[in-house]
Amino acid sequence: MFVYEKQLQYPVRIKNTNPALAKLIITQYGGPDGELGASTRYLSQRFTMPLPELKATLTDVGTEELNHLEMIGAIVYQLTRDLSEEQIREAGFDQYFVEHTAGVYPASASGMPFNAAALAVKGDPITDLHESLAAEQKARTTYDNILRFCDDPDVIDPIRFLRAREVVHYQRFGENLRLLTDKLDSKNFYAFNPSYDKRCFKK
Amino acid sequence: MNERQMLLKKIGTYRFTITDIDMFLDTHPGDTEMLALRNRYAQELRPLIEQFESRFGPLTKRENQTNTWSWVKDPWPWDMEA
Repeated sequence: MFVYEKQLQYPVRIKNTNPALAKLIITQYGGPDGELGASTRYLSQRFTMPLPELKATLTDVGTEELNHLEMIGAIVYQLTRDLSEEQIREAGFDQYFVEHTAGVYPASASGMPFNAAALAVKGDPITDLHESLAAEQKARTTYDNILRFCDDPDVIDPIRFLRAREVVHYQRFGENLRLLTDKLDSKNFYAFNPSYDKRCFKK
Repeated sequence: MNERQMLLKKIGTYRFTITDIDMFLDTHPGDTEMLALRNRYAQELRPLIEQFESRFGPLTKRENQTNTWSWVKDPWPWDMEA
């Protein structure tokens, strides 16, 4: 069950609008390595995890990603408020605008709508944890790329926060992988699915 | 930052610290030192939330002490004023 708290995980208050930047940042809302995909990935992968620590980590990280989704939504919303038609045209925001006005729609920077094909749930915890580890690094790279185009401290500050969280989540998923392999027969970790082939656990 | 924003920032700082420790505890559930730290922060957070909610309205729907549904009150978290 989820309970909403009426507060962003980290404050977002952006004084100056910048629709060109919003067009890039929206990729972390609905793009291939964005927060919507992240939360969906972890909150779906957790069901078949064989250890309680792994169920807990995926639940908590998946929930935190929902906070991040909300933060990205707030950044895009604030960067695109009260725009004139001229500002929209000059920033190249017109293509997005004709479809969504200033609504926040889950799409990538290139305009591709959110697609669950960018995430995987294999039902094999070793496979799924590797997918999650890679996902955290892909998101970290995307935040680094976004930061290359930011010069507004109001935007840089929350994006840096989000970037740092990817690194922490990577650490936790790495610990998950170690906790799992510690329980498996060390002769061969990778030839079985620990969520299905129970014989791969240590006797 | 106004008074509301300053108090909210304090609450957010505590909440974030607790969230981060929670995730550490997920993979280190036997770490009693970290668990004690988590509980200390949670204890320090509680009066701050009470203070905020009594002055500025609810952060969750768990309680509604006013005679109108104050949950709907602006600002919402994505507003500039929040």
